[in-house]
Amino acid sequence: MKVIECTDLTKSYLRKRVLDQLTFSIEENKITGLIGRNGAGKTTLLKIIAGYIKQTSGEMSVFSQKPFNSLLVSAHSIFVDDQMSFPSPLQLHEILDAAGSFYPNWNMPLAKRLFDYFSFDPKHYHNRLSKGKTSTFNSIIGLAARAPLTIFDEPTTGMDAAVRKDFYRALLKDYLAYPRTIILSSHHLEEIEDLLEDVLLLKDGKNHLHVSIEELKEWAIGFKGAEEALMNWTKDTKVYYKNQIGRNTVYAVVKNVFSEQELQQAKAENIEITAVCPSDLCIYLTGETKGGIDDVFVDR
Amino acid sequence: MSLLTVNTAEIVKKQFLFKLKANIDAFSSLVWIQLLAILFSLGGVASQGSHSDGLSISIKYFSSDVVIAFTMIWGLVTAITITTRPYRYFDFSFVTNRITSSLSNIIYLFTASVLGGVTAMLAKGLLIIIGYLFLDFQLLDFYSQSFHVRDFMIGTIAAVLYIFFISSIGYFIGTLVQVSRLFIVGIPVLFIGSMFLDGMMQREPMAMKTLQFYFMETSLFIFIVKVFISTALFFAASISMLNRMEVRK
Repeated sequence: MKVIECTDLTKSYLRKRVLDQLTFSIEENKITGLIGRNGAGKTTLLKIIAGYIKQTSGEMSVFSQKPFNSLLVSAHSIFVDDQMSFPSPLQLHEILDAAGSFYPNWNMPLAKRLFDYFSFDPKHYHNRLSKGKTSTFNSIIGLAARAPLTIFDEPTTGMDAAVRKDFYRALLKDYLAYPRTIILSSHHLEEIEDLLEDVLLLKDGKNHLHVSIEELKEWAIGFKGAEEALMNWTKDTKVYYKNQIGRNTVYAVVKNVFSEQELQQAKAENIEITAVCPSDLCIYLTGETKGGIDDVFVDR
Repeated sequence: MSLLTVNTAEIVKKQFLFKLKANIDAFSSLVWIQLLAILFSLGGVASQGSHSDGLSISIKYFSSDVVIAFTMIWGLVTAITITTRPYRYFDFSFVTNRITSSLSNIIYLFTASVLGGVTAMLAKGLLIIIGYLFLDFQLLDFYSQSFHVRDFMIGTIAAVLYIFFISSIGYFIGTLVQVSRLFIVGIPVLFIGSMFLDGMMQREPMAMKTLQFYFMETSLFIFIVKVFISTALFFAASISMLNRMEVRK
């Protein structure tokens, strides 16, 4: 069953198109990573899914309903980010109680154990928490709610490395215990790639790539060798990334369309062949320009 | 995956209970506002005196109307407050849609009005006791000061309805401001402008006529009908505007 179906989704703010004719669908009980550069439209997309904002045109259906103003979608989904707000007179344990009263699948023992593990004080207030602690607390709510559709929009903002690792592990463990559809947006693909099944790559508000993480790992290939030798191999395909290493050595990333035989031949021509790790690939795929940050400083 | 059906009434009830807890500050400010109003009332609303040949009589009139007026202002402010961005966003951290959010707000405002109205009516008793014990008042016309159940009931119902009515206006104004910030300037300009216009044209001010329409009504039943219809209109208009509004954009 498809939990989210989205066709030709467009969202504009004034003159700027944030989402542009976006089409994709997400299957039930999959963990999907939503990847894209800053301003690619990730948060906007997630907020439309959660029913917070309305698309300008196109169709969005969650649990076969339009999410905007749907009580069913709201009851079966949770949107977690660092902007989640709770009334200031409520203490943390009261917020957990309130969340428990709203979410039908709420798991209080899990919430309490995570709460203790990350050493929260039940009598503390949400608006007094530090940035990392806020993110951790919101993530506890997101996990314990056990909503059939759980959306994490950059949940690890401000968390330190140890907490980030713990959070991802907790997410995986609870997912195995209670499978559900999870969308995770993050800038740190290398941290979550072991967790993900699918990756949805957004670029300029468009669906750039929607593949499983295994496919993504083999999607591209890196050639390293003498420039002249490489030219033969890369002249017919699009080069996603090119970097000069040393005097006459070039590293280039192209789509993996070569047969085993061709690759053997390339090796014979002294070209080094490497896999491209998904997080690097995503940066190459979503790169705005051919060059890098170095080119900014070239003429100085 | 089985999706449970969601009961709207159940969600509204949960949100209402949540809001009672979340907006607890509003009730503590009610206490302070009413205490302040009682303090003002202790000065009396009118006085008269006469004296002749070594005898001097001074009569002061006291009224707890100020308490009700202050409570009405409190209702207005409370209603405007819960339409502001942070308060609307609280609901969206949990289960809600825009209709249930407004419905639970209305029930919350009604509860606040009942609490405000009843305490404002009881403030009269406190005023008399303070005057009698600490300020050495001699109660004239003792009979009228004593407690009539029927009068008290009618007074309380009227006070509650006034406050609820004012809070529906507050909710409406708050909603307009959420739709466009221009209304922050627009509403006072419209209000004061209409008074100036009425003054220039030498006619009875619109605002005055509106007040008379509600406040000079002698029949309790007709008053209830008037207030009920007006309140419903204000809330319906607010809900229809809020229902299209995006949150956390």
